[in-house]
Amino acid sequence: MLLINFYFYSTFAIFSVFVVLVFTEIMGSVLLLLNWNRYRNAVLPYIVPVWEVTGTFAAFWVVTSDFAYPALLIPLASIFSTALMTFLIVFVLRNATISFAEFFNKKGWMDSRKLFSGYALSTLLIGLIALVVLASVIEGNGINLSNLTFSLSDWSSSASGILFMVGALVILIGLAPIFYNDRDLKTASILFVVLGVIISNVSFVLFKDYSLSFLVAIPDVLTIALPLLFFWESTGRIISNKIAFIFLASVDIFSMSFMVYPTALGGKLNVDSITNSGPLAFSYDVITLVGTIILALLIILYATAVKRKGTASYIEQAHDS
Amino acid sequence: MSMAEFDRFLFAFTVGSHIILVTMSISIILLLTILEGLKLRRNNSAYADLIHRLKRVFVIFFGIGTASGIVMAMELVGLFPGFMTVVSMTGVINLFYAEVFAFFLETIALVLYVYFEGVFKWKYTDFVLSFVVLSGTLVSAVFITMVNSWMNTPNGFNTADFPSITGVSPWAPFLTPSTFAQVMHVLVTTIFTGAMMMGAFFAYKYLKDTDSGERILDRIIVRITSVTSIVGIVLAGLTGTNEMADVLVNQPLKYAAFDLNYNSGSNMPERLFGGLQNGNFVYGLQIPGLQSLLATIETGKTVLPGLTQYPQSTWPPLLVHTTFDVMVAGGLILGVFLFIVFLSFVLRKDFLRYRFILYAQILAGAFSLIVYELGWVTDEVGRQPWIIYQVMKVSKAANYSTGLLIPGYLIVAFYLVLVPLTFYFFFRIYNISGIHRESKPNQEGVAY
Repeated sequence: MLLINFYFYSTFAIFSVFVVLVFTEIMGSVLLLLNWNRYRNAVLPYIVPVWEVTGTFAAFWVVTSDFAYPALLIPLASIFSTALMTFLIVFVLRNATISFAEFFNKKGWMDSRKLFSGYALSTLLIGLIALVVLASVIEGNGINLSNLTFSLSDWSSSASGILFMVGALVILIGLAPIFYNDRDLKTASILFVVLGVIISNVSFVLFKDYSLSFLVAIPDVLTIALPLLFFWESTGRIISNKIAFIFLASVDIFSMSFMVYPTALGGKLNVDSITNSGPLAFSYDVITLVGTIILALLIILYATAVKRKGTASYIEQAHDS
Repeated sequence: MSMAEFDRFLFAFTVGSHIILVTMSISIILLLTILEGLKLRRNNSAYADLIHRLKRVFVIFFGIGTASGIVMAMELVGLFPGFMTVVSMTGVINLFYAEVFAFFLETIALVLYVYFEGVFKWKYTDFVLSFVVLSGTLVSAVFITMVNSWMNTPNGFNTADFPSITGVSPWAPFLTPSTFAQVMHVLVTTIFTGAMMMGAFFAYKYLKDTDSGERILDRIIVRITSVTSIVGIVLAGLTGTNEMADVLVNQPLKYAAFDLNYNSGSNMPERLFGGLQNGNFVYGLQIPGLQSLLATIETGKTVLPGLTQYPQSTWPPLLVHTTFDVMVAGGLILGVFLFIVFLSFVLRKDFLRYRFILYAQILAGAFSLIVYELGWVTDEVGRQPWIIYQVMKVSKAANYSTGLLIPGYLIVAFYLVLVPLTFYFFFRIYNISGIHRESKPNQEGVAY
């Protein structure tokens, strides 16, 4: 194994971007559900094109993980079979509702707002499923390794997992006004984020067999920094820039990689021992290099287009016609 | 039903549903690319109107198709973890990995094409972006078909050492013995089926529409899809013949099942429909010597394989003989219909004036989807009981967790609602998305 486990960190980096994209959608979903009229013009222009990219990142992460951890596929597929299939149903529902909603006006009782609400609810559900799986992967709670099963009731009987999920959701509610630039809620944003970080840290302390590292301070500080920077007008403009936010939040999530490295499942699984180090490495690296260049060029083109023109007008057009 | 059978059923159902969505996606983006090209050549507002509408319905099929594709990718992990473990330890994972980047190409180009119209001032922007989306879509389809080719003719590791994975050659799965034949046939038939289905929809619309402006748009699409279908059916025949020759050479047991050859031998008859009873062919039609004649022309082989050369436990369900025959017969029937359309082009007759041709187009569109699905069923069921031909059986790859059952049935129920709903939204959004045309062409039969 190399000095640093490149495949672990590269898959975690992809995972971080994917999670942040999902989180930005969850934040938007929360706002849409709370106050449709107030937030639709702020949320929809971002979500409408990005939901398609989020899905692609999901595939990106799944495939790179397949490569990195082939030995884990059978146990994980058995342990999380129900969660996986439920996730898939909700994921299709999410894509279906938003793609129908984009250009649909009204027919009978169905209208685009109801469809967007369906999207928002399914996105929230995706987030909840992901958080349950993530908490159990970190802590190992609810997982029976000898039978390769997962029990939701066992998982929920421990406060740590529930608190982890609640903490993450409270943080997301706190971050939502930043990402969607609602300065009226800048103080509430700080309160929610700090509360969420406290709850999350309590959950880490309660994680069984998990020794809390001082490194947990890194994501804590990064997370709390976001609403603090938003509080002041000058830095708030920078932090509410979507690209800057996604970058910082990705770094934040990535800094949690130490919680599953070098061991996952509450210390039961040595990550290095299950990482692929076979003869495929070179070809994988070649495809990564070529693919990353293509992806970088596409993202530059996309960023240029975003800079030249937002998408709000397009959505208005879509609903006008 | 055992859990392995359930896994197989669920995945088959998902793929069967998914390919309907993909076929539509590919045909719509192909149409968009053609229309963008035509718009560049002829400044006709009808093309702009069609592009405006089709872009929107493309987003629907792309959105649902993307989700469905991810369902398939994750189902492979969830339902057949043993298979995916082999995939991850061989060069096949590179195909999945390369496909992800093709997927990115398609997605980001689509976002630029649909949501940032007019941002880039270069006059070829829309055409180039639609072409990039089309390319990304087709390349994705190529990579996933390459995975399927590898399942049919595995290479890139020492199969003799299996279950140990040794002698891995990372790039070999990109070109298995069956890759070229299978990729060509799948691509051609997918485009063909999509064109036929779009043609059916617009033929139906043409019959129903009373607005002359709408009818002009319908005509444009029906004529484009007809040309695409005519080219497609010819190529489908050629690539299908090549694919059959490939099956004979590389998957002889599958070939024997397709042609219901009980014993191997020479001067074999072509068997149409019917079945086997105690090793004898019954209830069908035989054309003496035809099978051997075709095989000799296509491959040079004179002795053809038979089922009895292989243990009966490795035979696929012989139903594939029937599905194969229906597929071929269906292709021929579609060919006859398209030959009539072709003649109308040659004789410069306006075939849209004949209502029976429009009704036939509607039926042929639906029928082409059945034929396409049967082609896929024939290929996949023909490989059973193997998931990796002659290497790994489905039963060894499957997930036996009963936790899959309830969500699995929910997925089936969900797709049964989702696919018709997607078509409903397609019709609805296409119909409400018309833009005001500033200058309508003054007569029907606009040239394209």
